[in-house]
Amino acid sequence: MRKLILFYVFFLAVMPSAFAQPYSFPELRGYKTESRYPVYTAESLWDFIDGAADGYVAFGFENVHVREYRKGKKVIKAEIYRHKDKNNAFGIYASERSPSFRYLNLGSQGYTTEDGSLNFFKDRYYVKLRTYSEDQKIINDLEKLAVRIADMLPGDPSMPSLLSEFPEIGKVRYSEMFINKDVLGHGFLEGAFSARYELEGASFVIYLFEKSGTEKATECVSAYLQKTGMEPDESQEGKYMLRDGYNGTIFLSWKGNRIVIIEGLAKDQSALAERYASEILR
Amino acid sequence: MPYLNISDMSRVNYNRRKFLRIGAAGAAGAIVLKGSAAAVSDMQDNNIATRILGRTNIKIPVISFGVMRADSPALCRAAWENGIRLFDTANVYQNGNNESMLGNLFKDLPRDSFMIETKVKPSGVGQNGLPTSQTTTDDFLTKFKTSLSRLKLDYVDFLLVHDVSTPEMLNHKPLIAALSRLKKEKKTRFVGFSTHNNMAGVIRAASESGFWDVILTSYNFRLPNISEMNEAVEKAASAGIGIIAMKTLAGGAFLDKEKTKPVNTTAAIKWALSNPNIHTTIPGMTTFDHLTANLAILKDPVLNENEKKDLITMAAEPGMYCIGCNQCLETCRLRLPVPDLMRAYMYAYGYSNGRMAYDLLGSLGTGAAPCVNCNSCTVKCTNNFNVKEKISDVSRLVNMPSEFIA
Repeated sequence: MRKLILFYVFFLAVMPSAFAQPYSFPELRGYKTESRYPVYTAESLWDFIDGAADGYVAFGFENVHVREYRKGKKVIKAEIYRHKDKNNAFGIYASERSPSFRYLNLGSQGYTTEDGSLNFFKDRYYVKLRTYSEDQKIINDLEKLAVRIADMLPGDPSMPSLLSEFPEIGKVRYSEMFINKDVLGHGFLEGAFSARYELEGASFVIYLFEKSGTEKATECVSAYLQKTGMEPDESQEGKYMLRDGYNGTIFLSWKGNRIVIIEGLAKDQSALAERYASEILR
Repeated sequence: MPYLNISDMSRVNYNRRKFLRIGAAGAAGAIVLKGSAAAVSDMQDNNIATRILGRTNIKIPVISFGVMRADSPALCRAAWENGIRLFDTANVYQNGNNESMLGNLFKDLPRDSFMIETKVKPSGVGQNGLPTSQTTTDDFLTKFKTSLSRLKLDYVDFLLVHDVSTPEMLNHKPLIAALSRLKKEKKTRFVGFSTHNNMAGVIRAASESGFWDVILTSYNFRLPNISEMNEAVEKAASAGIGIIAMKTLAGGAFLDKEKTKPVNTTAAIKWALSNPNIHTTIPGMTTFDHLTANLAILKDPVLNENEKKDLITMAAEPGMYCIGCNQCLETCRLRLPVPDLMRAYMYAYGYSNGRMAYDLLGSLGTGAAPCVNCNSCTVKCTNNFNVKEKISDVSRLVNMPSEFIA
């Protein structure tokens, strides 16, 4: 018997996601729940959302659980995507949102759209609910379900902490993003939060990187300097105005393990760049 | 402290002449084709490999752009400046933000200097790929209207039905009505569909209908039924349908889950183009380095000897999942239902769905150790799976108490 128990423990350790039920979807009065879908992982997500899958996988997608709530012919579909961490869940959530949506205080943040969708994220989870019904009662039920799922999911509902470092003045609301890889089309720029700014007739984007240490930040800066035809700099802080052949003028500042890149400003707007970079790296 | 720039040498012991020399060639990439955009009809003059896209009669560069994951407008613009003309997106990518990004990029460029292909997924399509009563004309039209608005265009060049896997979808009258109407109203120049399941079947069906102008299909060197696919593609091309290949990298930049075996992406794309019936490809690109590599294919789309060797090596790598070819059935001396057992393995390890694997194993009745009385495995797997090991791994599930299984 002891051997059998040890075997089960081993099996559960080897394949935890196959056997653990990470969440049991909440009940919704008057609805029958259906689970016609398997749990999709990174290898099988194409079977569920085809071409969009690559975008999710790029944000550390781990699995998605799907349930359908049926009341007669009315259906609410709920999808819970689990990602590697909060930053990545925010990343995929933010890549699909638009400033024009109606925003909700749900989970960490959420929104509804005119076509019957309600999406939100909380910690490492990105949740998408959808109904094709235009019946207001069904839409109300969908919102009720969203609240219950948000309550059910574990984790910290606060926004990623680095977002609070972005200055408020001029920031376009709901323009913040997290870009996991290939920031500005460069493979050596990874893991940046960004926000769009509109100020004094200028429109620009600030990218903020927080590396695991000063050395990593220096490596990253050096790679960009080299790519733009300059010599690497091994200092722990500094500022450059770069000429990136594709992205135009770039203002690059770094201090310790943080790097700020500002794209979209002209050469003669260095004072504006300086103001924002200094505030973030203060 | 002011920003250092090319005229400030005090900080980096930097030589301005050196910067100008390196900067001109190496500024964030090494693309050398940069220049003004040519009209689509003039592209043969740019020394870029092109093919005729079926009955559309469009001369199209063999490399197009799968925009799906590209969130850098500068990258798309660089592709356009260097001769790439077709940009593929979809109504659902990034919840529409992908279309909006392209719309903002192209709104000020000459309309005949680029082509947009977008895909709209009809509502109500079941997991079996069949349309339902929710798969309506109005639904499709509404979604497309949204796409057009995001793209800031009066028309798209190619409107595709997203993810078709059954001939029934191709013949679904509400969809045909929607596409016909949009074509008549000149909201789209051409119509087509994308497919990545049962591709050969739907491509054959489309060839016989006379309705479809283009097909976007999965096509790569690892397809198990490549002979069948080639026949289907040839039939479609002969019927005048333009063929656009996607997923040419066979599922990603690596061959294994551990990401230790990278795909030679250039070889993989060139392999797809070695079939003259493939008219263009839409590799996804997220960096300028990807773009540079793919632009080189535009100049030289023919496989060289090293690339051919890499393809042979890559093709010999086992895939991750059973392809269901059933070739193994005759080779197992115990006559085990190997494809079904591999499917159970896929449910457990690939889909992380222990319940589906457990139920399937129960229905097969092969027990917890099907191979126990067989010393040497005779199964020949076309995917080079270690079948005995996988059967042994997954069959242990049978002994687990049902309540342990989610």
